[in-house]
Amino acid sequence: MSTLDRRSVDELLADSDLLAREALLEMSANRALGMVREWPQLIKSAAELWAILPHEPTVSASGDPMAILAAMGSALRHSLAAGHWPGQGPTDESWEQIGANFTQARRLLKGLPVASEAMSTPEQTGPTAAKTQVLHALYVAAHATAVALAGYERDLQRRLEVSARRREPLLERPTALEVESAKGMTARFDAIEQLAAGSLGARRINAAGQPATGRHRSATTRLGTALVAWEIQAHRTLASHPDPADLVRIARVQALIATTTGVISEAAARIGEVDAGVIERVAPALENAHLAWSRSARRWAELTTPASRTDPALVEAASELRAAIAAAVANQTGWASPDQIAARIDLPATAMTLHRSMVAGVELANVTREVAADHPGLAAPARVIAMRAQGEAEVAIEQGETRFEGVTWVTPRQIAVNQVIPLPEPARRGLVNSATDVVAATNQAVAAGAHLNPIEHASREGADRPRPVGRAAPDREIPIHHPYRGGPSR
Amino acid sequence: MNNDAMDVDTAETIAGVVRLLRRAAVMAWAAADRAGAGSHRQLLALGVDLAADEARQLVPVDTDLAGPIPVGDDPAGLLTSAWLLLRRLAAPGASDALLDLQTAVANLVWEANTGVDA
Repeated sequence: MSTLDRRSVDELLADSDLLAREALLEMSANRALGMVREWPQLIKSAAELWAILPHEPTVSASGDPMAILAAMGSALRHSLAAGHWPGQGPTDESWEQIGANFTQARRLLKGLPVASEAMSTPEQTGPTAAKTQVLHALYVAAHATAVALAGYERDLQRRLEVSARRREPLLERPTALEVESAKGMTARFDAIEQLAAGSLGARRINAAGQPATGRHRSATTRLGTALVAWEIQAHRTLASHPDPADLVRIARVQALIATTTGVISEAAARIGEVDAGVIERVAPALENAHLAWSRSARRWAELTTPASRTDPALVEAASELRAAIAAAVANQTGWASPDQIAARIDLPATAMTLHRSMVAGVELANVTREVAADHPGLAAPARVIAMRAQGEAEVAIEQGETRFEGVTWVTPRQIAVNQVIPLPEPARRGLVNSATDVVAATNQAVAAGAHLNPIEHASREGADRPRPVGRAAPDREIPIHHPYRGGPSR
Repeated sequence: MNNDAMDVDTAETIAGVVRLLRRAAVMAWAAADRAGAGSHRQLLALGVDLAADEARQLVPVDTDLAGPIPVGDDPAGLLTSAWLLLRRLAAPGASDALLDLQTAVANLVWEANTGVDA
């Protein structure tokens, strides 16, 4: 890291978290090998930073996983050095940057007499929150690596099958061993991710028992942790065998996140933490995102049956997020007042956390659209399918689509008993269109909310502070992916 | 709760709870959607949805949940009916999950009754 880097510890940790999240959103299989190769150094830097942060008496051993994470990183380093898959080669730049951020944070703290004092000013993160931030960045980075590896493994498998069919020369084909190695590495990163996730959960429980002075920070951390746990669980549920009830819950929670972002942004504006002009631009975009997710929820709800069963893990993550949101912004009669909210949470930090969550929401919307477009397990009651398929087919025919002319989608018998049957293509079209609207609306909310970032807010006030590493706000709009394009997913 | 070992009466009672909670959720979401994008009523509606999900998990997968739609369109009243049914089941020795659900529904009854225009 250059000596010109004047970012604070807080900013370095926030940037690390952002880099990890961006990688997760990108879900690029091409980065998988570089991520694996750089992981040992990233963990080493994290462990060195962790070592100089003060011991936290309120955090149990389960909330302090760095020793085992460092050991796992070290084992991976030995494995790579020994020539095991994926061997030596280029490393991932974002993972290098996160490692450099941790190293720079350690340098900053090491020069000070007592790390806990250096981080206890109102403007800066306390030691407990700093450790949680480090752990959180590692958690998201491990998950991003596992996702990228899973995508890489699928690509290898596909290439293996195609090259065998085409009888390509053996030297140009991936090997079955390579596929197995990728699979094994994915499992390793799954374990790292789960370890970090479990520790984050344990830290959250401990944080709830902190004295009153920690409540402000605790509610902020609780909401941030609940949001990340929700995002990851939502991806996992969508990647397995989602029931329409799962899609309903995901859409409703995402709508609530959009509303909560609006409530917190407005509170931040009322007490002068965010420019009121920014809120004027953000509020309509958030409202549109809320409405789009709500419409999507109603559309998916049509497909549920009395037997529908929501993924228990999704229910648990949603319950914790709902509780965290209620603790932060609600009271007995509705939304809390701006002053009440400001007393409970760190408004700028929470606004940034929610903005990041909206970024993740764009990807969730994309995955939802992919599920709607081609998930083979989607089924619904025949009467709803008949109504929706007929309506969508008529619209398609009006638009010149001839494939649907004269096609019967549901038999009279299926309608008579309202049998649950697989979703035909026209019935999927409405869901895909609804999800496309969500992608667009969420994307606009992300772009409009980019200036909620308190780091940018602070840098406007203090000209001597450098802009954070990362893309400029207009560049943060996430491109809309085509639903039929096969990207890496789990 | 051991779903496999659940007796028919208990399963039917919980199925009734599921139907009540699902109906309450539909009504709560209708109110939230009518109130608009910024409505705090989403919190209650989502809470009822999640309670219904938890109740659904208490009964075996093949339990018939398709019974009659509960009468009433007031979420607070429907939630209270669900809570009364759960109280009947939550005798000493009942599973933690059942007791947790009873507590969650009691909290939702309170939330529904203390809303701004409840």
